[in-house]
Amino acid sequence: MSLWRQLVRGLAALTNRTGSDQEIDDEVRHYYEETVAAHLARGLSQNEAKRAARIEMGNPTVVAEQVRDYGWESLVATSLSDLRYSARVLRRTPVFTMVVILVVSLGSGAVATVFSALNALVLRPIAGIRDADRLITLSPIRSDGLFLQQGSFADYSFLRSRSQTLSDLAAWGKVSLTIAGAGEGTIVWGNMVSANYFDALHVRPQLGRFFSPDEDRTPLAQPVIVVSHAFWSTRLGRDPGVVGQAILVNGHPFTLIGIAPRDFHGIYTGVRADAWVPLMMQPLLRPRADLATSSWLWMFGRLKDQIPIESAQAELPALMATHARERGEPKGPVGFRSMRVFHFTGLPGGEGVVVVRFLGVLLAAAALVLLIAGVNVAAMLTARSIGRARELAMRAALGAGRIRLARQVLTESLLLFLCGAVGGWILSLLATNALEHVSLPANLPILLELSPDVRVLIFAICSALAVGVVFGLVPAVRAARLDITAQLRDGAADGRWRPSLVNRMLIVGQLSLSLLLLVSAGLFTRSLARGQQIDPGFQMAGVVTTSFETESWGYNQTRAQAFYAALRSRIQSMPSVVDVSYVSRLPLTGGSTTEEIQIDGATIGVQIAAVDAGYFSTLRMPIVQGRAFLRLDDDRSERVAIVNESLARRLASDRNVIGRTFRFLGKPTTIVGIVGDAKYATLGETTPLFAYFPIAQKWQPTQSLLVRTNGDAEWIGPAIEHVVLSLDPAVPRPHVASMKEATAIVLLPQRVAALVTGVLGVVGLTLAAVGLYGMMAYSVQRRSREMGIRFALGAQRSTVVGMVVREGLTLAVLAIVIGVSLAAAAAQAIQGFLFNVSPLDSATFATMSLVFLSIASVASYLPARRAAIADPIAALRAQ
Amino acid sequence: MDPQNTDVIQGTLDMLILKTLSLEPLHGFGIARRIEQVSRGVFKVNPGSLLTAFQRLERAGLLDSEWRQTENARRAKFYTLTRAGRKQLELETADWARRVSAVTRLLKAEG
Repeated sequence: MSLWRQLVRGLAALTNRTGSDQEIDDEVRHYYEETVAAHLARGLSQNEAKRAARIEMGNPTVVAEQVRDYGWESLVATSLSDLRYSARVLRRTPVFTMVVILVVSLGSGAVATVFSALNALVLRPIAGIRDADRLITLSPIRSDGLFLQQGSFADYSFLRSRSQTLSDLAAWGKVSLTIAGAGEGTIVWGNMVSANYFDALHVRPQLGRFFSPDEDRTPLAQPVIVVSHAFWSTRLGRDPGVVGQAILVNGHPFTLIGIAPRDFHGIYTGVRADAWVPLMMQPLLRPRADLATSSWLWMFGRLKDQIPIESAQAELPALMATHARERGEPKGPVGFRSMRVFHFTGLPGGEGVVVVRFLGVLLAAAALVLLIAGVNVAAMLTARSIGRARELAMRAALGAGRIRLARQVLTESLLLFLCGAVGGWILSLLATNALEHVSLPANLPILLELSPDVRVLIFAICSALAVGVVFGLVPAVRAARLDITAQLRDGAADGRWRPSLVNRMLIVGQLSLSLLLLVSAGLFTRSLARGQQIDPGFQMAGVVTTSFETESWGYNQTRAQAFYAALRSRIQSMPSVVDVSYVSRLPLTGGSTTEEIQIDGATIGVQIAAVDAGYFSTLRMPIVQGRAFLRLDDDRSERVAIVNESLARRLASDRNVIGRTFRFLGKPTTIVGIVGDAKYATLGETTPLFAYFPIAQKWQPTQSLLVRTNGDAEWIGPAIEHVVLSLDPAVPRPHVASMKEATAIVLLPQRVAALVTGVLGVVGLTLAAVGLYGMMAYSVQRRSREMGIRFALGAQRSTVVGMVVREGLTLAVLAIVIGVSLAAAAAQAIQGFLFNVSPLDSATFATMSLVFLSIASVASYLPARRAAIADPIAALRAQ
Repeated sequence: MDPQNTDVIQGTLDMLILKTLSLEPLHGFGIARRIEQVSRGVFKVNPGSLLTAFQRLERAGLLDSEWRQTENARRAKFYTLTRAGRKQLELETADWARRVSAVTRLLKAEG
């Protein structure tokens, strides 16, 4: 009640400041007049009465001031007047102001841009879903400790029927769908989902309906499909009449039952899903995967009301363990035994953790730039406050309190940082807009909306203001501790001015931080270079590739095999084509398939790939022993395998491996060759145990074509496209890329880190160099009298230049010592993102220190030279 | 300075204002004069403190104010005690009495 009155009265007084001031003035005047009248009544003359009244009550203006100071609104009012005054002061020195704002904008923009990415990928709730804070993501953990993001349908059914903590448990898997409405076919990224998928996400259809529980029961019984608003708008002409009609999905008729709302694009960040079909249609759309046992389903759940996530985190791993026990198989390393439960994000399970850690490193780098900018501005403001010491002393002499003066100076700093934060936000808008148009080397419909929202703006402002408060305090405290009389006495402040200890500390601080950034950038760049030099165990140069998903074309195995064979023979007959082959999964695209083999009673988990004859010669992988696959290794002949050197060593160090037999998927398989070790999923991996099987014996509907040509073969891409479309005009146009392009994603984190820290390092170094230059220039200017005397007494120019440069370099060397120690500590934190580069890589540290030292020399030499060429007489006369 | 003429005891100004206003509505100068007269010149009211106290008490809802003509035809801001102000006065009076008797007892015990 009273608080409310405080607020209302305060606001009333604030909005009607002159009115309330007037009222206080009137009241004080009335008091004064009554006092005068009382004295007159005692018989004093008019003048004596007025004098007596003033003595009795004091200066009426001061009394009114005192009354006015009451209440919170007076604080606001003085802050506003501080702000107005600050704006006036800053407008008086437009160049200084613009430079400071630009400096803060750079730092704040760096932070805001990285934060935008973090915001878009992790923090921002996924568009279109509701009450996301009650959703969780499940990640099964395998018996060998590896944790995956997907589980099998059996896992899903078990958990769904047993869980007591979840009101809904939903599952989804990805599937490529070729949808043909009225016009030509379109290939879209689709999701196969449990019927409660949309309900669990609290998504309501834009039109029609979503899946019903009976569409979750019988395989193949209900061919129904839901499409995205975007697909409906662009491909189906926004016709409401299409709901309820049949469309062709991978060549099969499906009934279109609903349209998803405009903002919903599935729940995988960065990838746009355009169609959803029930899991029960899996045998038709993904016949290769076994619904019950293949692990291809992402799972997420909605917590029951009042149930905390901790309950689910306790319950679900236990259920998973029970399930593994009850099922009793598989016993090998590949079975699941536990589960991790995460808060729901668009990056399921472990991916989110990695992305957050990676962006955390980048955010830290950006925060360093902001810090450097803060230090820079503090140094500039401090330097200027020395120049302004007289103005401040004058105001103090006129009665301004020290606290009030400090507040005024702090207000100025905060105003600068606020403007800088807004500038930073605008910079981040530009930067993210540019980033969104960078095409990623991935075969997915990318939907990257980094667009900095209000959250980013708030973050930018808060981080900039926090830095502003910390570094604005330096000049503010200085203003409060000003020695008034010394300042007002003529010329006393000049003469032997050197940068203060605080200033020198600030400069050393920002120089060290910028060196820290430089070293990190150096480490990432070197790591990228090393990554590009890593020998993957095969030769990518001269190879082009493209992928085919024959299942999504509605092809059965016979038809697909015929297609692949025809395509191979057509390409092989082209001029300058050396080798043609197929592989089930292109290497260096981040993924791998693990299966178990049984040999001599032991079970070993190995990574596998199915490859066509000619694969090893296409990629120039050496056959160490035995033979490569042949066309003859098909379905009718003996089952064969080729192992890599690591697996060969594991199987037998003493005996000959060729000719030995293991069981794979229940069938005896003979090892016919040993091939050189090669990287498969990523460049950073330790070489896996690897087994290759002939693709004709282990059928894969999705294959990547590999074509090696000799010499320049620009024409090969269009030629391959032409052959594919001539074989079947109905299939989507293939995208042919060089193998280097197709595998570029494998170094994406290193590329991004090197780019971002490189840019930040340059910005940071520039800021620090400008700071050093500014301080030295200012110091030289203030000391022009001293310099003049020195010259007049016969000092050599080189001596004076040396003196100034030495001063700058002392700071730089100190900064190198601190910066290198900081970098050594920080490098441990980024070790996980470095390839074949020691975090204490001496070459990087030495190079960056040298670069740094030379920039620092230039920044101190330029002002020194200016001092040296100045006319000593003029310098002396000016004072 | 007149040794008999002291500032109002710290913390009692609000109570004195409330008491004075409980008799009749008054303007600032009138209240100051009344306090000085009734205390027989022992207490002298600082106008700055008095006018600030009005702001405070009005914010707290203990006083109302209104501009009116005085008997000598000047416009002045008259303060009136509200119901809450009356209650507050009772509380503070009781509290004050309790303290005074305690202090008195202590002083007597020492003598």
